[in-house]
Amino acid sequence: MSSVRLALRVLRVDGRTRTSAILTGLGVAVATALVLLLVGLPFATEARGERSMWQEPSYSSGEDGPATLLLTSSEDYADGSKVERVDVAPLTDPRAIDLPPGIDRLPGPGETLLSPELARLVDGTPGSQLGDRFGEVVGVLGEDALQYPDQLVALVGHTPQTITPGALRQDGFAVGGAEQDPLLQLLAGVGVVVLLVPSLVLVASAARLTAARRERRLAALRLAGATPRQVVEMVAAETAIAAVGGAAIGFAVSPVLHSLAAHVPWNGGTWQPGDFTLPLAVSLPITVAMPVLVLLAAVLALRRVVSTPLGAAGSHARKPLHWWRLLALPLAGLAFTLAVTADEPTMMTVLGGLLLIVASAALVGPWVTSAVGGIFVRIWRRPAMLLAGRRLRDDPRGAYRASAGVVLAVFTGSMALTLLPTFESMAGSSSPYRDSVLYVPGLDAAEARQIAERADADLARYGQRERTAQVGEVYLSRGPDSGESAMVLDCASAGTLLRLDMDGACAGQPGVYAEYPMNLNGVHVSAIWNEPGPALAADTPVRPIRATDADVSSVPVIDPAVLPSGFEPQAVTVAVAATEANREVVRTALAGAAGGVQVESREMRLADQQTQLEDLRRVTVIGLIAAGALSGCSAAIATAGSVMDRRRTFGALLAAGTPVRVLARALRTEAAMPAMVATVGAGAVGVLVGMGLFSLVDDGSVVLSPWILAPVVLGVGVALLAASVCRPALNRVRAEPLADE
Amino acid sequence: MHPQTTDRPGQLTAAAPALAGRNLVKRYGAQYALAGVDIDIQPGEAVAIVGPSGSGKTSLLHVLAGILKADSGEVLLAGRRIDQLGETKRSELRRTEFGFVFQSGMLVAELSAEENAALPMLLAGAARGEALGRAREWLGRLGLSGKERNRPGELSGGEAQRVAIARALAHRPSVIFADEPTGALDTRTGRDTMDALLGAAGEHGAAVVIVTHDRDLADSVPRTVAIRDGRIDTAGGTA
Repeated sequence: MSSVRLALRVLRVDGRTRTSAILTGLGVAVATALVLLLVGLPFATEARGERSMWQEPSYSSGEDGPATLLLTSSEDYADGSKVERVDVAPLTDPRAIDLPPGIDRLPGPGETLLSPELARLVDGTPGSQLGDRFGEVVGVLGEDALQYPDQLVALVGHTPQTITPGALRQDGFAVGGAEQDPLLQLLAGVGVVVLLVPSLVLVASAARLTAARRERRLAALRLAGATPRQVVEMVAAETAIAAVGGAAIGFAVSPVLHSLAAHVPWNGGTWQPGDFTLPLAVSLPITVAMPVLVLLAAVLALRRVVSTPLGAAGSHARKPLHWWRLLALPLAGLAFTLAVTADEPTMMTVLGGLLLIVASAALVGPWVTSAVGGIFVRIWRRPAMLLAGRRLRDDPRGAYRASAGVVLAVFTGSMALTLLPTFESMAGSSSPYRDSVLYVPGLDAAEARQIAERADADLARYGQRERTAQVGEVYLSRGPDSGESAMVLDCASAGTLLRLDMDGACAGQPGVYAEYPMNLNGVHVSAIWNEPGPALAADTPVRPIRATDADVSSVPVIDPAVLPSGFEPQAVTVAVAATEANREVVRTALAGAAGGVQVESREMRLADQQTQLEDLRRVTVIGLIAAGALSGCSAAIATAGSVMDRRRTFGALLAAGTPVRVLARALRTEAAMPAMVATVGAGAVGVLVGMGLFSLVDDGSVVLSPWILAPVVLGVGVALLAASVCRPALNRVRAEPLADE
Repeated sequence: MHPQTTDRPGQLTAAAPALAGRNLVKRYGAQYALAGVDIDIQPGEAVAIVGPSGSGKTSLLHVLAGILKADSGEVLLAGRRIDQLGETKRSELRRTEFGFVFQSGMLVAELSAEENAALPMLLAGAARGEALGRAREWLGRLGLSGKERNRPGELSGGEAQRVAIARALAHRPSVIFADEPTGALDTRTGRDTMDALLGAAGEHGAAVVIVTHDRDLADSVPRTVAIRDGRIDTAGGTA
């Protein structure tokens, strides 16, 4: 009889083998689908990037052909949401310009094309709060022109004369050459490890359901004269049926997973389901590799049966684990500490240290598991702890393997959740402007005047009392290669616009306002760094002020009244203070007047940092939940397997009158203990490593948030999942209390 | 109507039976495992139930012990009906009044001999010290002194069965059920194990019901009841 036919017969007649095969297939399916998704993430960011390439200026364009258009892009915000604004002016016949996919025409001067989501917002919002920033809406952008389906984008048309002077000359819109998001590349790599391990543990747990029975069958076959090759072929055939089926199912259902993943925002928005589609050259090898790996593991696990069939059929003693395993963690910790405390830490050495810590868990974990088992065996008072202790002590590698997925997930999660709240607490910037202020920096004096006039006119038209202020940027110096920057602004406006407490300084004569003592004798003021300029009057008063926040970059403020006669700053910022009530109206006036020049604000300063931190937190939580669910399923199957392994003993105990609930309680504790212990250990190491990583970027202390408890919740969840199967498994045993194998 | 079957009368005494079965019927689908069995077992008495495979002897033991419910008939423990009790009460009875010895011992591989013997008491809520103490006492009586800390894998088959006997006796039951207790042992070890079981039970005053297909083994028991096709075989038993 061929190996495949024998495997099929076993599957047909043996329900437990069938269950094991189904669970193995399920584990392989989950692992395949997850790997396909995770490997697809960087490709997905590339697909997104390709669609939105046109939204960025092409800095290298124009070198290989005549410029056909002027283009500038800026970030705008509508009620806190980011709007990508692209201003364009054709330098040639617009019909001769190649348009990117999703754009069917180039907007003329004063016209605009909006993304569907932005068009919907504009329709539902008064023009003074949004629509007036862009011009007449003449069409919508297609999905192919958007980074993600709900992206807010405006393509605003100009003439070469009306577009901002900062616009770049380029030969058409930028196309091709988008790069993968390096952060998501890194996270996908971590995700593959964090999720693949519990998936494979799930497969191993499923295989364990029939391990004892299969070992006996194979040992019997070996004793009956089957060659090692025949035994290996039989196991390979038995496993291949489940693994190949699972991989095929994983491949088939991966589009469903992609559709779900498309709803998870990253970098500001969701995805198009097609973004995750992998090239066949990548997806097929992965789909083939998964069952091959599982087959390899199954065949390797046969070593004992193949070499000594009698050894497998009988009992075997386990060697105690050596204490030197314990050294792996401190050594890895030392390597990691050296890497993060080096004068110039490099990414490679830090990642190397991190990998060593993760790898050390494989050596230390079983030893700690065995040690915990030893403690339980010494201190037990209830049979549950005795059973758990003996199991942990007898097979620490197996017990740890069942928790390996949780260990990895909890370690990674604890590390991330130690870092994230700390980074969030640091989010902010050293901008001198108050959060309420909207401003356009880096303008020349003439452009600033134009923008200020247009913005003031619009503010008046919208019935707002606020008006723009023009803040000059100058340098104070005593000679060549020296000096510091200063802002030119009257005292009252400085108190309104800047994060400064003028502290009564505005009451006296105009002067220079600074946080620290200044001697203005011999100090010159210049419009450009290291250029000569006129001297400030030596008797110019210097008045003390103080910054309202610790993170503000303190810059002296010079009242325009004390500037030398005829001196005019060349770099100017146009700024307006808004209230929460009129913020969108003020932004519309300023953005409309700026015509594509970047309007900066608190949203812009914080949005990117917060978006990235939110993304990281989201993927961490999703990763933890996925890893927890997988680990929980593995642990549950492993628990069912351990009950089934001892079914005759438990059947005997039940027959002898031990209530199912009592035995179930004992087994629940036995199943939950390893996951609990693993959770605590991995969580503690994760927090320590997180603190080490944080020390790379800041000397401050780590902020611990309630999120740090998430891994504990995960561990409890896994333990509960694992324990939940005890009772049904025992009920099944009771149904045939003394059935023979 | 089922055929009338009777137990061999030779060993009956005037005292109330420790355990009795009346007209017990148990079916699996259309097949009769027990087709109307009557049996009395006196306090302190040892009875061997013999018969070929599939004759119904294990079903009879399970019905008498309350592991299985008969389709009809009565089971009486010291004159009280126990066949009508719910699973919880029957479990309690099995835990307190009965002891069990199975083929191959069915010991927990990870636990030591004393822990295995103490396990039913521990699961019933006994304190660690008390349970282990009683387990050690019974292991000593059964000749296992010095092997209390050994695992089942470190014991011979006969020693493992004696641990199982200690486990069955440690809570002082009134009836011990033994299902093929020597099935996995060689003849000499089997006989030694039987002697240990009967000796310990006799010392304690417990009745013993042994299911076996081994005639030689059955001969070492004072009373034998033969069963065939779910009925007591009046020609097969020996006094």
